[in-house]
Amino acid sequence: MTPPNSFADDDLPAQPEVLLVDDDEVNLLLTALALRERGFRVTEVDSGERALECLTEWTPDVVVLDAMMPGLDGFATCRALRAMSGFENMPVLMLTGLDDDASIARAYQAGATDFFVKATQWGLLAGRLQYLLRASRTRIELERSKAKLGRAQDLARMGSFDWRRSEGGLAMSAEGLRVFGHGPADRMTLRSLLRMVPKDERRSLMRLLHEVLRHSSVLATDVSIMLFDGRERIVHVEAEPEFNEHGHSIGYTGIVQDVTDRRVAEDRIRHLANFDALTGLPNRRQLIWRAERALEHARRLQHQFALLLIDLDRFKIINDTLGHAAGDELLMEVGRRLRGCVRHSDQVMEGAMETAGARSHRALEAVGRLGGDEFVALLPEVGEDRDAERVAQRVLEVMREPIFVSGQECFVTASVGVAIYPRDGTTVADLMRNSDVAMYSVKAQGKNAAAIYGPQLAGQGREKLELETALHKAIERDELVLHYQPKVDVRSARMVGTEALMRWQRGDRLVMPGNFIPLAEETGLIVPLSEWALREAARQAHVWQQSFGFADAIAVNLPSRLFERSDLIEHIHSCVTGVGVPHRVITLEITEDQLMKDLQNVIPALHRLNEIGVEIAIDDFGTGYSSLAYLTTLPISELKIDIQFVRDLGHTPQSSAVVSAIIALARSLGLRVIAEGVETLRQMEVLHRLGCGIMQGYLFSRPIPPDELERWQEQLPRKAPWIGAAGALEFGTDAARAAGARPY
Amino acid sequence: MNETPVFSRIANADRAPAALRRLDEQALARLRELDPDGSHGVLMRVLRTFEASLMRMLGQLSEAGERGDGAAVAALAHTMKSSSASVGALALSQLCAAAERSLRAAPADDLPALVSGLSAEAGQVLSAVRAMLRA
Repeated sequence: MTPPNSFADDDLPAQPEVLLVDDDEVNLLLTALALRERGFRVTEVDSGERALECLTEWTPDVVVLDAMMPGLDGFATCRALRAMSGFENMPVLMLTGLDDDASIARAYQAGATDFFVKATQWGLLAGRLQYLLRASRTRIELERSKAKLGRAQDLARMGSFDWRRSEGGLAMSAEGLRVFGHGPADRMTLRSLLRMVPKDERRSLMRLLHEVLRHSSVLATDVSIMLFDGRERIVHVEAEPEFNEHGHSIGYTGIVQDVTDRRVAEDRIRHLANFDALTGLPNRRQLIWRAERALEHARRLQHQFALLLIDLDRFKIINDTLGHAAGDELLMEVGRRLRGCVRHSDQVMEGAMETAGARSHRALEAVGRLGGDEFVALLPEVGEDRDAERVAQRVLEVMREPIFVSGQECFVTASVGVAIYPRDGTTVADLMRNSDVAMYSVKAQGKNAAAIYGPQLAGQGREKLELETALHKAIERDELVLHYQPKVDVRSARMVGTEALMRWQRGDRLVMPGNFIPLAEETGLIVPLSEWALREAARQAHVWQQSFGFADAIAVNLPSRLFERSDLIEHIHSCVTGVGVPHRVITLEITEDQLMKDLQNVIPALHRLNEIGVEIAIDDFGTGYSSLAYLTTLPISELKIDIQFVRDLGHTPQSSAVVSAIIALARSLGLRVIAEGVETLRQMEVLHRLGCGIMQGYLFSRPIPPDELERWQEQLPRKAPWIGAAGALEFGTDAARAAGARPY
Repeated sequence: MNETPVFSRIANADRAPAALRRLDEQALARLRELDPDGSHGVLMRVLRTFEASLMRMLGQLSEAGERGDGAAVAALAHTMKSSSASVGALALSQLCAAAERSLRAAPADDLPALVSGLSAEAGQVLSAVRAMLRA
């Protein structure tokens, strides 16, 4: 705020206007002359009556009145003037005679601002007038700023008060009274104020007031009050002690402010920061905070506490098939059910926790949502493992009831991992991680159960977790590669196609698909992985076409769930057209058991794929329980004889019987047949004899990087050891046999 | 300038020094200070105003005296006291102050004497002022 002083000085009129009232013409003339000389504008009148008349239509800055005048004298004029509205604070200077003490006193009684003894020292009079004007300005400014303060306080719903230990007690400003719903004429006492505070808070407020008074300390607190109309408000009270000259506290002076709106906003912000918007449960931040407090408490009081990590088992499927809205609905219901499993406390807690009573940590108990379909139950005190297990069992039980979302009945189960302080970890981070390990062990063992952490779980769980995280990033980091194993027509010694097999180049280690595909299937990562493989295969087909005229097909393995995706066709289409190769360069392989499992869902896709020229091969054929009737109606092009029959060829008569049956079946259905896992010349010879000329296996080549495959096919007609053997149909040795299991 | 020639002459010739002495030089100097270069004719304006007001008050004074109205005499004395002080008629001012004081304290038994004393001194001052106005 601008300091009122400087304001007042700047604001002084350059030529202050003076109403000069004196019945004596000489004095009137002289005084007027003297004041004009000093920059005043003077209006002269010779009687009190004239002066009052004059003031009805004009307001001077200052009035100078001769005290002794016939008719209305100075005193009467002054009194009359003060009674006129707008002149309450007009500076009035009374001119009195020398040694006229009685007049001086009467002048003040009549409301004059000051008096001046008539003298011929005109300069003194002018100086006095200047002083009066300045004082008047300052006063006006003061009044103005007081009014401004009042308005500001009103806007801020704020008021001030004084409280005296002795006389009168509480004096509340009009603005303060309004805060409490009172009119400006009402009176408030400390007692009446306390009566507005709800009973349960009154006692603690009284305690606080006594405490503050005893130490003469500063008071700053928020008080809940109930207004007479029943509205609840929160009033912030802040007061400082006042002391007399002897240093004794005589009372308090302070402000009250209605902070209800601010508190509501603050509470909302605090709630948003600490609670999950979807379920209304404590969020990760709030859970971690509570867990930290529970840990402190457990450490101090030497007891155990438990963290339960709850992960829904089939949530992703529900989200994928019913949509996110349904998923959200389901999470809300799960949240509601989980809440009922513990003594859930919704209290927002942040900063210092009131450590009143040893049981306060009970208020930490809650179920929260970490994110996604992960929930946590925090049990601030457990006596033994069984306590935590009981809660975990309750969690599994409440999931048993179906949940209705989007008009569908969904069955959701959960896997629960439990970690207990201090045995399973002494920090919140350790406990979180180990409950996670325990939860993963449940998932690995078939889900829908609970497990308590044990050190034996640590290795496997952690590795898997790391693997999953790394796999997530494998695609974007370009760590995946395709290796290719040729399909060979042994009669012509030519390559007739290749099968693409995925490898993960993880650092300097080449990870085989057996070590990450099951995890990818479990986590759903198989979808982006497969899509990547299709795109990469199409790209490679194009590269080979350019470099050596490759015109065969690359077979890509797909899980059945890919066939169920409506966008598979579009994806393949975009992959091949993107690099300018025909659709037929891609062949899809699906295993027999996957095909049979989802037959009804897969068939439409097979037809559409066939229509656009993408052929389908059935992998691992002979192991499943194929209905041969179905087989005749399926739009497939190729059967791949399972590796186990090929391995046994020449050793057990049954295997050659199965292989010849498959070959006969394929022939009768007009399908190509191909043998996988051919490792020896003997196997090759038998297959050939039984009528299968197309083969794949270590005997010819292991899966190799694309550039190696290019070199391999270049030397094909001359160098391979099996060529002669195939041509002569002689039994060879196992010299070409390579170590290792069948490639994926 | 309708003054009687006899009166004027007397004032100018014989009584001027005495009359001038009746107006205090210091007071006159202060009046001159209000108009240092004299361009506004302040001194003359003040003296003319004083002359007119004194003439009027002299008439009112004798009327009040004849009525025996002490309060009116006191009020007139009060006014004459400050205006005469302003123009330097110190003797008159003091006489007025004394008259005002005694009249306010108690009703005067010798009001006619008091009025005639005031009138006499006022007459002297009036002459002095007129002399200055002519000068």
